[in-house]
Amino acid sequence: MLLEIKDLKVQERQPPASLPTEGGASGKEILKGINFKINSGETQALLGPNASGKSTLAQTILGNPKYKIVKGKIFFQGKEITKLPPEKRVKLGMALAFQSPPSIKGVKLFQLLEKISKNKSVDSRCQQRQQPLNEKLNIGANLLEREVNLDFSGGEKKMSELLQVISLDPELVIFDEIDSGLDLKRLEKVAKIIKKELIDKKISILLITHSGVILKFLKPKITNIMLEGKIICKEKDYRKVLRVIKRYGYEKCKKCKPST
Amino acid sequence: MVMKSVKNANRVHKKLCASVNYLQIDHRVKNIFQVEGVIILPSPKAWERYNWTRKYFEKKPKEGYFIWIKKQVNFPLFACVSISLKNITQELQNLLIIEKNLNIKLRGTCNALKKNLSGIHRAQGKIILKENSSLKYNHIHTWGEKDIVEPNYQFFLEKNSKLDYTYRTLFTPKKLKINTLFNLLKGASCNVKIVANCSQTETVMIKDVLILKEKGASGIIKLRLVGRKNSQILACSQIIAESESRGHLDCRGLLVDKKSKIALIPELLCKNKLAQITHEASLGKVSEEELNYLRMRGLTEKEAINLIINGFLEVKENKSSFPPSLS
Repeated sequence: MLLEIKDLKVQERQPPASLPTEGGASGKEILKGINFKINSGETQALLGPNASGKSTLAQTILGNPKYKIVKGKIFFQGKEITKLPPEKRVKLGMALAFQSPPSIKGVKLFQLLEKISKNKSVDSRCQQRQQPLNEKLNIGANLLEREVNLDFSGGEKKMSELLQVISLDPELVIFDEIDSGLDLKRLEKVAKIIKKELIDKKISILLITHSGVILKFLKPKITNIMLEGKIICKEKDYRKVLRVIKRYGYEKCKKCKPST
Repeated sequence: MVMKSVKNANRVHKKLCASVNYLQIDHRVKNIFQVEGVIILPSPKAWERYNWTRKYFEKKPKEGYFIWIKKQVNFPLFACVSISLKNITQELQNLLIIEKNLNIKLRGTCNALKKNLSGIHRAQGKIILKENSSLKYNHIHTWGEKDIVEPNYQFFLEKNSKLDYTYRTLFTPKKLKINTLFNLLKGASCNVKIVANCSQTETVMIKDVLILKEKGASGIIKLRLVGRKNSQILACSQIIAESESRGHLDCRGLLVDKKSKIALIPELLCKNKLAQITHEASLGKVSEEELNYLRMRGLTEKEAINLIINGFLEVKENKSSFPPSLS
Protein backbone atom coordinates (compact mmCIF):
# COMPACT_ATOMS: atom_id res chain seq x y z
CA MET A 1 0.00 0.00 0.00
CA LEU A 2 1.46 3.35 -1.02
CA LEU A 3 -1.12 5.74 0.38
CA GLU A 4 -3.84 5.04 2.89
CA ILE A 5 -6.31 7.51 4.35
CA LYS A 6 -8.46 6.54 7.32
CA ASP A 7 -11.61 8.38 8.37
CA LEU A 8 -10.23 11.80 7.43
CA LYS A 9 -12.16 14.84 8.58
CA VAL A 10 -10.87 18.26 7.59
CA GLN A 11 -11.79 21.87 8.23
CA GLU A 12 -10.46 24.97 6.52
CA ARG A 13 -8.45 27.39 8.63
CA GLN A 14 -9.47 31.03 8.31
CA PRO A 15 -6.89 33.77 7.92
CA PRO A 16 -5.70 34.80 11.42
CA ALA A 17 -7.03 38.36 11.03
CA SER A 18 -10.63 37.20 10.87
CA LEU A 19 -10.36 34.63 13.61
CA PRO A 20 -11.50 34.91 17.17
CA THR A 21 -8.52 32.73 18.10
CA GLU A 22 -5.44 32.63 15.91
CA GLY A 23 -4.71 29.44 14.00
CA GLY A 24 -8.10 27.90 14.63
CA ALA A 25 -10.42 26.42 12.07
CA SER A 26 -13.46 28.06 10.58
CA GLY A 27 -15.62 25.22 11.87
CA LYS A 28 -16.89 24.29 8.43
CA GLU A 29 -16.15 20.67 7.78
CA ILE A 30 -15.12 20.06 4.19
CA LEU A 31 -14.03 16.43 4.30
CA LYS A 32 -16.38 14.25 6.32
CA GLY A 33 -14.68 10.96 6.88
CA ILE A 34 -12.62 9.97 3.84
CA ASN A 35 -11.31 6.43 3.45
CA PHE A 36 -9.01 5.89 0.52
CA LYS A 37 -6.19 3.58 -0.59
CA ILE A 38 -3.87 3.53 -3.56
CA ASN A 39 -1.25 0.91 -4.35
CA SER A 40 2.18 1.39 -5.91
CA GLY A 41 1.97 1.77 -9.67
CA GLU A 42 -1.81 2.13 -9.60
CA THR A 43 -3.83 4.81 -11.37
CA GLN A 44 -7.06 5.94 -9.79
CA ALA A 45 -9.49 8.73 -10.51
CA LEU A 46 -11.52 10.96 -8.23
CA LEU A 47 -14.57 12.54 -9.75
CA GLY A 48 -17.05 14.92 -8.23
CA PRO A 49 -19.00 18.10 -8.79
CA ASN A 50 -17.71 21.54 -7.89
CA ALA A 51 -17.11 22.12 -4.17
CA SER A 52 -17.37 18.45 -3.29
CA GLY A 53 -13.95 18.54 -1.55
CA LYS A 54 -11.67 17.02 -4.22
CA SER A 55 -9.05 19.78 -4.17
CA THR A 56 -9.20 19.96 -0.38
CA LEU A 57 -8.40 16.26 -0.25
CA ALA A 58 -5.43 16.74 -2.60
CA GLN A 59 -4.13 19.70 -0.61
CA THR A 60 -4.58 17.86 2.69
CA ILE A 61 -2.71 14.81 1.41
CA LEU A 62 0.22 17.09 0.56
CA GLY A 63 -0.03 18.82 3.96
CA ASN A 64 -1.16 22.35 3.06
CA PRO A 65 -1.32 24.14 6.44
CA LYS A 66 -4.43 25.94 5.23
CA TYR A 67 -6.41 22.83 6.12
CA LYS A 68 -6.81 21.42 9.61
CA ILE A 69 -7.21 17.72 10.15
CA VAL A 70 -9.71 17.27 12.96
CA LYS A 71 -9.90 13.49 12.75
CA GLY A 72 -8.32 10.59 10.92
CA LYS A 73 -4.89 9.57 9.73
CA ILE A 74 -2.83 9.54 6.54
CA PHE A 75 -0.19 6.87 5.86
CA PHE A 76 2.40 6.93 3.08
CA GLN A 77 4.60 3.90 2.45
CA GLY A 78 3.40 2.54 5.78
CA LYS A 79 4.50 5.64 7.71
CA GLU A 80 2.02 7.98 9.36
CA ILE A 81 2.38 11.44 7.82
CA THR A 82 -0.73 13.14 9.24
CA LYS A 83 1.33 15.82 11.00
CA LEU A 84 4.28 15.96 8.62
CA PRO A 85 4.98 19.37 6.97
CA PRO A 86 4.46 19.53 3.19
CA GLU A 87 8.15 19.67 2.25
CA LYS A 88 8.82 16.40 4.09
CA ARG A 89 5.91 14.72 2.32
CA VAL A 90 7.42 15.83 -1.00
CA LYS A 91 10.77 14.38 0.05
CA LEU A 92 9.02 11.07 0.72
CA GLY A 93 7.78 11.04 -2.88
CA MET A 94 4.44 12.85 -3.04
CA ALA A 95 3.69 15.52 -5.63
CA LEU A 96 0.68 17.61 -6.54
CA ALA A 97 -0.03 19.36 -9.81
CA PHE A 98 -2.18 22.35 -8.85
CA GLN A 99 -5.41 23.29 -10.52
CA SER A 100 -4.75 27.02 -10.08
CA PRO A 101 -1.14 27.57 -9.11
CA PRO A 102 -0.16 31.00 -7.77
CA SER A 103 2.38 33.15 -9.59
CA ILE A 104 5.76 33.76 -8.01
CA LYS A 105 6.92 37.18 -9.16
CA GLY A 106 10.56 37.63 -10.04
CA VAL A 107 11.29 33.89 -9.99
CA LYS A 108 11.81 32.30 -13.36
CA LEU A 109 10.46 28.85 -14.07
CA PHE A 110 13.91 27.39 -14.75
CA GLN A 111 15.11 28.78 -11.39
CA LEU A 112 12.29 27.02 -9.58
CA LEU A 113 12.97 23.81 -11.48
CA GLU A 114 16.62 23.97 -10.49
CA LYS A 115 15.61 24.42 -6.86
CA ILE A 116 13.12 21.60 -6.71
CA SER A 117 14.71 19.05 -8.98
CA LYS A 118 16.12 16.09 -7.11
CA ASN A 119 19.19 16.30 -9.28
CA LYS A 120 19.84 19.89 -8.37
CA SER A 121 23.31 19.13 -7.02
CA VAL A 122 24.55 19.02 -10.57
CA ASP A 123 23.05 21.92 -12.46
CA SER A 124 24.27 20.96 -15.88
CA ARG A 125 23.04 17.41 -15.49
CA CYS A 126 19.76 18.79 -14.24
CA GLN A 127 19.41 20.97 -17.31
CA GLN A 128 20.38 18.13 -19.60
CA ARG A 129 17.75 16.01 -17.95
CA GLN A 130 15.10 18.67 -18.26
CA GLN A 131 15.85 19.71 -21.79
CA PRO A 132 14.36 16.68 -23.53
CA LEU A 133 11.37 16.84 -21.22
CA ASN A 134 10.74 20.46 -22.18
CA GLU A 135 10.77 19.44 -25.79
CA LYS A 136 8.38 16.57 -25.17
CA LEU A 137 6.05 18.94 -23.36
CA ASN A 138 6.47 21.48 -26.12
CA ILE A 139 7.73 23.96 -23.56
CA GLY A 140 10.15 26.31 -25.23
CA ALA A 141 13.02 28.09 -23.54
CA ASN A 142 10.79 31.14 -23.62
CA LEU A 143 8.43 29.74 -20.96
CA LEU A 144 11.33 28.61 -18.77
CA GLU A 145 12.63 32.19 -18.84
CA ARG A 146 9.31 33.62 -17.70
CA GLU A 147 8.27 34.25 -14.11
CA VAL A 148 6.51 31.26 -12.56
CA ASN A 149 2.85 31.22 -13.62
CA LEU A 150 2.79 34.98 -14.21
CA ASP A 151 0.53 35.68 -17.19
CA PHE A 152 0.72 31.99 -18.20
CA SER A 153 -2.21 30.79 -20.28
CA GLY A 154 -4.29 27.92 -18.90
CA GLY A 155 -2.39 25.44 -21.07
CA GLU A 156 1.01 26.86 -20.08
CA LYS A 157 0.13 26.50 -16.41
CA LYS A 158 -0.74 22.83 -16.89
CA MET A 159 2.50 22.20 -18.77
CA SER A 160 4.49 24.00 -16.12
CA GLU A 161 2.86 21.96 -13.35
CA LEU A 162 3.49 18.75 -15.23
CA LEU A 163 7.13 19.64 -15.74
CA GLN A 164 7.51 20.49 -12.06
CA VAL A 165 5.97 17.31 -10.69
CA ILE A 166 8.02 15.14 -13.03
CA SER A 167 11.15 17.01 -11.89
CA LEU A 168 10.37 15.99 -8.31
CA ASP A 169 10.91 12.34 -9.25
CA PRO A 170 7.83 11.27 -7.26
CA GLU A 171 6.26 7.96 -6.19
CA LEU A 172 2.75 9.38 -6.20
CA VAL A 173 1.38 12.24 -8.25
CA ILE A 174 -1.99 13.86 -7.70
CA PHE A 175 -3.24 15.78 -10.72
CA ASP A 176 -5.87 18.32 -9.74
CA GLU A 177 -7.97 19.04 -12.82
CA ILE A 178 -5.08 18.63 -15.24
CA ASP A 179 -7.66 18.29 -18.03
CA SER A 180 -9.47 21.57 -17.44
CA GLY A 181 -8.72 24.37 -19.87
CA LEU A 182 -6.95 22.14 -22.39
CA ASP A 183 -8.10 21.51 -25.92
CA LEU A 184 -8.49 17.89 -26.96
CA LYS A 185 -5.23 17.73 -28.90
CA ARG A 186 -3.18 19.14 -26.05
CA LEU A 187 -5.06 16.99 -23.53
CA GLU A 188 -4.11 13.88 -25.52
CA LYS A 189 -0.51 15.03 -25.52
CA VAL A 190 -0.53 15.64 -21.74
CA ALA A 191 -2.08 12.22 -21.20
CA LYS A 192 0.62 10.59 -23.34
CA ILE A 193 3.33 12.29 -21.31
CA ILE A 194 1.75 11.24 -18.02
CA LYS A 195 1.56 7.68 -19.31
CA LYS A 196 5.11 7.56 -20.62
CA GLU A 197 6.86 9.51 -17.87
CA LEU A 198 4.87 8.29 -14.88
CA ILE A 199 2.43 5.43 -15.38
CA ASP A 200 4.81 3.28 -17.45
CA LYS A 201 7.44 3.85 -14.75
CA LYS A 202 5.06 2.45 -12.12
CA ILE A 203 4.38 5.80 -10.48
CA SER A 204 1.02 5.93 -8.74
CA ILE A 205 -1.43 8.50 -10.06
CA LEU A 206 -4.56 10.04 -8.62
CA LEU A 207 -6.47 11.94 -11.28
CA ILE A 208 -8.85 14.49 -9.86
CA THR A 209 -11.24 15.59 -12.52
CA HIS A 210 -14.52 17.36 -12.87
CA SER A 211 -15.28 16.43 -16.44
CA GLY A 212 -13.57 13.04 -16.60
CA VAL A 213 -12.34 13.68 -20.15
CA ILE A 214 -8.81 12.53 -19.37
CA LEU A 215 -9.93 9.12 -18.06
CA LYS A 216 -10.38 7.58 -21.51
CA PHE A 217 -6.70 8.27 -22.19
CA LEU A 218 -5.33 6.98 -18.90
CA LYS A 219 -7.85 4.27 -17.98
CA PRO A 220 -7.82 4.33 -14.18
CA LYS A 221 -8.11 1.05 -12.31
CA ILE A 222 -10.58 2.51 -9.84
CA THR A 223 -12.79 5.55 -10.17
CA ASN A 224 -13.92 7.20 -6.95
CA ILE A 225 -16.88 9.52 -6.73
CA MET A 226 -16.89 12.30 -4.18
CA LEU A 227 -19.98 14.14 -3.06
CA GLU A 228 -20.28 16.62 -0.21
CA GLY A 229 -16.98 15.69 1.39
CA LYS A 230 -17.40 11.92 1.18
CA ILE A 231 -16.27 9.25 -1.24
CA ILE A 232 -19.58 7.64 -1.95
CA CYS A 233 -18.66 5.26 -4.72
CA LYS A 234 -15.70 3.26 -6.01
CA GLU A 235 -16.11 1.73 -9.43
CA LYS A 236 -13.73 -0.36 -11.53
CA ASP A 237 -15.27 0.58 -14.86
CA TYR A 238 -14.60 4.27 -15.45
CA ARG A 239 -16.67 4.15 -18.66
CA LYS A 240 -19.72 3.19 -16.66
CA VAL A 241 -19.15 6.12 -14.30
CA LEU A 242 -18.75 8.56 -17.16
CA ARG A 243 -21.92 7.23 -18.83
CA VAL A 244 -23.97 7.60 -15.67
CA ILE A 245 -22.67 11.07 -14.93
CA LYS A 246 -23.24 12.20 -18.47
CA ARG A 247 -26.78 10.90 -18.48
CA TYR A 248 -27.98 11.58 -14.93
CA GLY A 249 -25.40 13.84 -13.27
CA TYR A 250 -23.68 13.19 -9.95
CA GLU A 251 -26.95 12.89 -7.99
CA LYS A 252 -27.48 9.46 -9.50
CA CYS A 253 -24.23 8.30 -7.88
CA LYS A 254 -25.77 8.67 -4.44
CA LYS A 255 -28.04 5.78 -5.24
CA CYS A 256 -25.40 3.66 -6.90
CA LYS A 257 -23.88 0.79 -4.93
CA PRO A 258 -20.08 0.39 -5.06
CA SER A 259 -18.87 -2.53 -7.14
CA THR A 260 -15.41 -2.84 -5.56
CA MET B 1 24.50 33.87 7.32
CA VAL B 2 26.29 37.23 7.64
CA MET B 3 29.65 35.51 8.22
CA LYS B 4 29.16 33.47 5.10
CA SER B 5 28.17 36.54 3.16
CA VAL B 6 31.21 38.53 4.28
CA LYS B 7 33.49 35.62 3.28
CA ASN B 8 31.73 35.53 -0.01
CA ALA B 9 32.15 39.26 -0.42
CA ASN B 10 35.88 38.90 0.28
CA ARG B 11 36.23 36.27 -2.41
CA VAL B 12 34.30 38.33 -4.91
CA HIS B 13 36.28 41.37 -3.87
CA LYS B 14 39.66 39.69 -4.56
CA LYS B 15 38.46 38.51 -7.93
CA LEU B 16 37.16 41.90 -8.94
CA CYS B 17 40.21 43.82 -7.78
CA ALA B 18 42.15 42.36 -10.66
CA SER B 19 40.11 44.45 -13.09
CA VAL B 20 39.26 47.46 -10.96
CA ASN B 21 39.89 50.98 -12.28
CA TYR B 22 39.89 52.65 -8.89
CA LEU B 23 40.47 50.71 -5.70
CA GLN B 24 40.54 52.27 -2.27
CA ILE B 25 40.84 50.30 0.96
CA ASP B 26 40.29 52.28 4.15
CA HIS B 27 42.04 55.60 3.37
CA ARG B 28 44.63 54.26 0.95
CA VAL B 29 44.33 54.23 -2.81
CA LYS B 30 45.57 50.75 -3.66
CA ASN B 31 45.26 50.79 -7.39
CA ILE B 32 44.35 53.01 -10.29
CA PHE B 33 44.07 51.47 -13.71
CA GLN B 34 43.94 54.20 -16.33
CA VAL B 35 42.02 53.78 -19.54
CA GLU B 36 42.52 55.74 -22.74
CA GLY B 37 40.27 58.77 -22.81
CA VAL B 38 39.52 58.57 -19.08
CA ILE B 39 41.21 60.41 -16.26
CA ILE B 40 41.08 58.64 -12.93
CA LEU B 41 42.54 60.33 -9.90
CA PRO B 42 42.06 60.44 -6.14
CA SER B 43 39.74 63.40 -5.50
CA PRO B 44 42.34 65.47 -3.55
CA LYS B 45 44.66 65.34 -6.60
CA ALA B 46 41.83 66.36 -8.94
CA TRP B 47 41.09 69.30 -6.66
CA GLU B 48 44.72 70.39 -6.99
CA ARG B 49 45.10 69.72 -10.71
CA TYR B 50 41.76 70.97 -12.10
CA ASN B 51 40.46 74.21 -10.68
CA TRP B 52 37.09 73.74 -12.34
CA THR B 53 36.38 70.69 -10.15
CA ARG B 54 36.07 73.00 -7.15
CA LYS B 55 32.57 74.01 -8.20
CA TYR B 56 31.52 70.37 -7.83
CA PHE B 57 33.34 69.41 -4.66
CA GLU B 58 31.62 71.01 -1.70
CA LYS B 59 34.93 71.38 0.15
CA LYS B 60 38.51 70.24 -0.36
CA PRO B 61 38.24 66.47 -0.51
CA LYS B 62 40.26 64.23 1.81
CA GLU B 63 39.61 61.06 -0.11
CA GLY B 64 37.45 59.56 -2.83
CA TYR B 65 37.67 59.16 -6.56
CA PHE B 66 37.52 61.48 -9.55
CA ILE B 67 36.64 59.89 -12.87
CA TRP B 68 36.46 62.10 -15.94
CA ILE B 69 35.36 60.25 -19.05
CA LYS B 70 36.30 62.17 -22.19
CA LYS B 71 36.16 59.44 -24.83
CA GLN B 72 33.94 56.47 -25.50
CA VAL B 73 34.88 53.38 -23.45
CA ASN B 74 33.34 50.16 -24.66
CA PHE B 75 33.67 48.11 -21.49
CA PRO B 76 32.37 48.73 -17.98
CA LEU B 77 34.51 50.84 -15.67
CA PHE B 78 34.79 49.71 -12.09
CA ALA B 79 35.33 51.66 -8.89
CA CYS B 80 35.65 49.90 -5.55
CA VAL B 81 35.90 51.31 -2.04
CA SER B 82 36.30 48.99 0.93
CA ILE B 83 36.88 49.11 4.63
CA SER B 84 39.15 46.56 6.27
CA LEU B 85 40.15 48.12 9.60
CA LYS B 86 38.12 48.34 12.77
CA ASN B 87 36.44 51.64 13.73
CA ILE B 88 37.59 53.40 10.58
CA THR B 89 35.69 56.42 9.25
CA GLN B 90 35.71 57.10 5.55
CA GLU B 91 34.69 60.56 4.32
CA LEU B 92 34.62 60.21 0.56
CA GLN B 93 33.98 62.83 -2.04
CA ASN B 94 33.51 61.28 -5.44
CA LEU B 95 33.07 63.03 -8.75
CA LEU B 96 32.17 61.37 -12.03
CA ILE B 97 31.88 63.38 -15.21
CA ILE B 98 30.76 61.99 -18.53
CA GLU B 99 31.33 64.18 -21.54
CA LYS B 100 28.85 64.73 -24.38
CA ASN B 101 27.57 61.89 -26.57
CA LEU B 102 29.27 59.07 -24.63
CA ASN B 103 27.60 55.80 -23.58
CA ILE B 104 29.22 54.53 -20.43
CA LYS B 105 28.80 51.59 -18.09
CA LEU B 106 30.03 51.79 -14.53
CA ARG B 107 30.06 49.44 -11.63
CA GLY B 108 30.60 50.84 -8.15
CA THR B 109 31.12 48.58 -5.18
CA CYS B 110 31.39 49.65 -1.56
CA ASN B 111 31.86 47.00 1.08
CA ALA B 112 33.28 45.82 4.38
CA LEU B 113 35.91 43.11 4.11
CA LYS B 114 35.17 41.75 7.58
CA LYS B 115 32.07 41.19 9.59
CA ASN B 116 32.55 43.20 12.78
CA LEU B 117 34.52 46.27 11.77
CA SER B 118 32.15 48.86 13.19
CA GLY B 119 33.26 51.15 10.39
CA ILE B 120 31.69 54.34 9.13
CA HIS B 121 31.40 54.94 5.39
CA ARG B 122 30.21 58.37 4.33
CA ALA B 123 30.21 59.25 0.66
CA GLN B 124 29.32 62.49 -1.07
CA GLY B 125 29.05 61.84 -4.78
CA LYS B 126 28.29 63.97 -7.81
CA ILE B 127 27.64 62.45 -11.17
CA ILE B 128 27.41 64.77 -14.17
CA LEU B 129 25.99 63.48 -17.42
CA LYS B 130 26.61 65.97 -20.19
CA GLU B 131 24.40 66.49 -23.24
CA ASN B 132 23.32 63.30 -25.06
CA SER B 133 25.42 61.05 -22.86
CA SER B 134 24.17 57.93 -21.15
CA LEU B 135 25.24 56.03 -18.07
CA LYS B 136 24.34 52.59 -16.85
CA TYR B 137 25.46 52.54 -13.24
CA ASN B 138 25.29 49.46 -11.06
CA HIS B 139 25.99 50.44 -7.46
CA ILE B 140 26.37 47.56 -5.01
CA HIS B 141 26.80 47.68 -1.24
CA THR B 142 27.72 44.80 1.06
CA TRP B 143 28.29 45.58 4.73
CA GLY B 144 28.92 44.01 8.08
CA GLU B 145 26.29 44.12 10.76
CA LYS B 146 27.97 46.84 12.87
CA ASP B 147 28.81 49.38 10.18
CA ILE B 148 27.23 52.77 9.64
CA VAL B 149 26.78 53.79 6.02
CA GLU B 150 25.66 57.15 4.65
CA PRO B 151 25.86 57.60 0.87
CA ASN B 152 24.71 60.92 -0.46
CA TYR B 153 24.66 61.08 -4.26
CA GLN B 154 23.54 63.76 -6.65
CA PHE B 155 22.99 63.13 -10.33
CA PHE B 156 22.85 66.01 -12.78
CA LEU B 157 21.45 65.03 -16.15
CA GLU B 158 21.98 67.59 -18.88
CA LYS B 159 19.97 67.88 -22.10
CA ASN B 160 18.85 64.53 -23.56
CA SER B 161 21.10 62.47 -21.33
CA LYS B 162 20.02 59.10 -19.98
CA LEU B 163 20.65 57.38 -16.68
CA ASP B 164 19.96 53.79 -15.70
CA TYR B 165 20.90 53.56 -12.03
CA THR B 166 20.56 50.55 -9.76
CA TYR B 167 21.52 50.77 -6.13
CA ARG B 168 21.46 47.40 -4.43
CA THR B 169 22.42 46.69 -0.86
CA LEU B 170 22.79 42.96 -0.43
CA PHE B 171 23.76 42.95 3.24
CA THR B 172 22.73 45.98 5.18
CA PRO B 173 24.76 47.61 7.94
CA LYS B 174 23.57 48.55 11.42
CA LYS B 175 22.52 51.99 10.18
CA LEU B 176 21.95 53.01 6.60
CA LYS B 177 21.07 56.49 5.47
CA ILE B 178 20.78 57.02 1.72
CA ASN B 179 20.15 60.39 0.13
CA THR B 180 19.89 60.57 -3.62
CA LEU B 181 18.97 63.47 -5.85
CA PHE B 182 18.28 63.36 -9.57
CA ASN B 183 18.15 66.65 -11.40
CA LEU B 184 16.92 66.37 -14.99
CA LEU B 185 17.20 69.04 -17.67
CA LYS B 186 15.48 69.17 -21.08
CA GLY B 187 14.67 65.77 -22.54
CA ALA B 188 16.77 63.90 -19.97
CA SER B 189 15.50 60.60 -18.62
CA CYS B 190 16.32 58.31 -15.74
CA ASN B 191 15.34 54.84 -14.62
CA VAL B 192 16.25 54.34 -10.97
CA LYS B 193 16.05 51.19 -8.89
CA ILE B 194 16.80 51.18 -5.18
CA VAL B 195 16.82 47.68 -3.74
CA ALA B 196 17.50 46.94 -0.08
CA ASN B 197 17.29 43.58 1.63
CA CYS B 198 17.38 44.77 5.23
CA SER B 199 18.17 42.32 7.97
CA GLN B 200 18.92 43.26 11.57
CA THR B 201 19.19 46.86 10.49
CA GLU B 202 18.51 49.29 13.32
CA THR B 203 17.75 52.20 11.05
CA VAL B 204 17.29 52.47 7.32
CA MET B 205 16.46 55.94 6.04
CA ILE B 206 16.07 56.37 2.32
CA LYS B 207 15.38 59.72 0.80
CA ASP B 208 15.29 60.12 -2.94
CA VAL B 209 14.22 63.17 -4.87
CA LEU B 210 13.63 63.39 -8.60
CA ILE B 211 13.47 66.93 -9.98
CA LEU B 212 12.01 67.19 -13.46
CA LYS B 213 13.39 70.61 -14.14
CA GLU B 214 12.92 71.15 -17.84
CA LYS B 215 10.52 70.23 -20.62
CA GLY B 216 10.49 66.63 -21.79
CA ALA B 217 12.31 65.25 -18.75
CA SER B 218 11.08 61.88 -17.55
CA GLY B 219 11.99 59.55 -14.74
CA ILE B 220 10.94 56.47 -12.82
CA ILE B 221 12.02 55.52 -9.33
CA LYS B 222 11.42 51.98 -8.14
CA LEU B 223 11.93 51.04 -4.54
CA ARG B 224 12.03 47.43 -3.38
CA LEU B 225 12.53 47.03 0.35
CA VAL B 226 12.51 43.92 2.49
CA GLY B 227 12.35 44.18 6.27
CA ARG B 228 13.48 41.17 8.24
CA LYS B 229 14.93 40.44 11.65
CA ASN B 230 13.76 43.56 13.43
CA SER B 231 14.66 46.07 10.71
CA GLN B 232 13.23 49.56 10.90
CA ILE B 233 12.86 51.23 7.50
CA LEU B 234 11.69 54.68 6.50
CA ALA B 235 11.67 55.54 2.81
CA CYS B 236 10.61 58.92 1.43
CA SER B 237 10.50 59.30 -2.33
CA GLN B 238 9.63 62.56 -3.97
CA ILE B 239 9.06 63.77 -7.49
CA ILE B 240 9.05 67.49 -8.19
CA ALA B 241 7.78 68.42 -11.64
CA GLU B 242 8.77 71.95 -12.56
CA SER B 243 8.02 71.69 -16.27
CA GLU B 244 6.06 69.72 -18.84
CA SER B 245 7.44 66.33 -17.91
CA ARG B 246 6.45 62.93 -16.61
CA GLY B 247 7.50 60.89 -13.64
CA HIS B 248 6.47 57.82 -11.72
CA LEU B 249 7.20 56.38 -8.29
CA ASP B 250 6.82 52.66 -7.66
CA CYS B 251 7.47 51.88 -3.99
CA ARG B 252 7.04 48.37 -2.60
CA GLY B 253 7.88 46.84 0.72
CA LEU B 254 7.78 43.29 2.03
CA LEU B 255 7.71 42.58 5.74
CA VAL B 256 9.05 39.21 6.71
CA ASP B 257 8.94 39.21 10.50
CA LYS B 258 6.66 40.64 13.15
CA LYS B 259 9.20 43.03 14.66
CA SER B 260 10.26 44.80 11.47
CA LYS B 261 8.66 48.02 10.37
CA ILE B 262 8.51 49.76 7.00
CA ALA B 263 7.16 53.22 6.30
CA LEU B 264 6.83 54.23 2.66
CA ILE B 265 6.13 57.88 1.94
CA PRO B 266 5.72 58.72 -1.73
CA GLU B 267 5.31 62.42 -2.42
CA LEU B 268 4.41 64.23 -5.62
CA LEU B 269 4.86 67.92 -6.09
CA CYS B 270 3.64 69.42 -9.35
CA LYS B 271 4.49 72.96 -10.37
CA ASN B 272 3.43 72.74 -13.99
CA LYS B 273 -0.06 71.97 -15.24
CA LEU B 274 1.27 70.02 -18.21
CA ALA B 275 3.33 67.65 -16.08
CA GLN B 276 2.11 64.13 -15.40
CA ILE B 277 3.37 62.47 -12.28
CA THR B 278 2.01 59.37 -10.58
CA HIS B 279 2.86 57.00 -7.80
CA GLU B 280 2.01 53.55 -6.51
CA ALA B 281 2.97 52.12 -3.17
CA SER B 282 2.30 48.82 -1.47
CA LEU B 283 3.41 47.05 1.67
CA GLY B 284 2.66 43.48 2.54
CA LYS B 285 3.78 40.22 3.98
CA VAL B 286 4.87 37.03 2.24
CA SER B 287 1.82 35.47 0.59
CA GLU B 288 0.66 32.31 2.37
CA GLU B 289 -0.53 30.89 -0.93
CA GLU B 290 2.88 31.30 -2.56
CA LEU B 291 4.65 30.02 0.53
CA ASN B 292 2.52 26.87 0.74
CA TYR B 293 2.86 26.28 -3.00
CA LEU B 294 6.65 26.31 -2.76
CA ARG B 295 6.59 24.10 0.34
CA MET B 296 4.50 21.64 -1.64
CA ARG B 297 7.36 21.69 -4.15
CA GLY B 298 9.70 20.44 -1.44
CA LEU B 299 11.23 23.72 -0.25
CA THR B 300 11.47 24.33 3.49
CA GLU B 301 9.66 27.37 4.84
CA LYS B 302 12.95 29.27 5.03
CA GLU B 303 13.98 28.33 1.50
CA ALA B 304 10.56 29.29 0.19
CA ILE B 305 10.65 32.70 1.93
CA ASN B 306 14.13 33.37 0.56
CA LEU B 307 13.02 32.50 -2.95
CA ILE B 308 9.98 34.78 -2.68
CA ILE B 309 12.17 37.61 -1.34
CA ASN B 310 14.73 37.16 -4.11
CA GLY B 311 11.91 37.30 -6.63
CA PHE B 312 10.48 40.41 -4.99
CA LEU B 313 13.86 42.16 -5.09
CA GLU B 314 14.43 41.26 -8.70
CA VAL B 315 13.52 44.38 -10.63
CA LYS B 316 12.91 43.77 -14.27
CA GLU B 317 15.34 45.30 -16.70
CA ASN B 318 14.44 46.92 -19.98
CA LYS B 319 10.78 47.23 -19.22
CA SER B 320 8.98 50.51 -19.33
CA SER B 321 7.22 50.82 -16.03
CA PHE B 322 5.27 53.96 -16.62
CA PRO B 323 1.62 53.26 -15.94
CA PRO B 324 -0.43 52.96 -19.16
CA SER B 325 -1.71 56.52 -18.78
CA LEU B 326 1.85 57.85 -19.01
CA SER B 327 3.29 55.39 -21.49
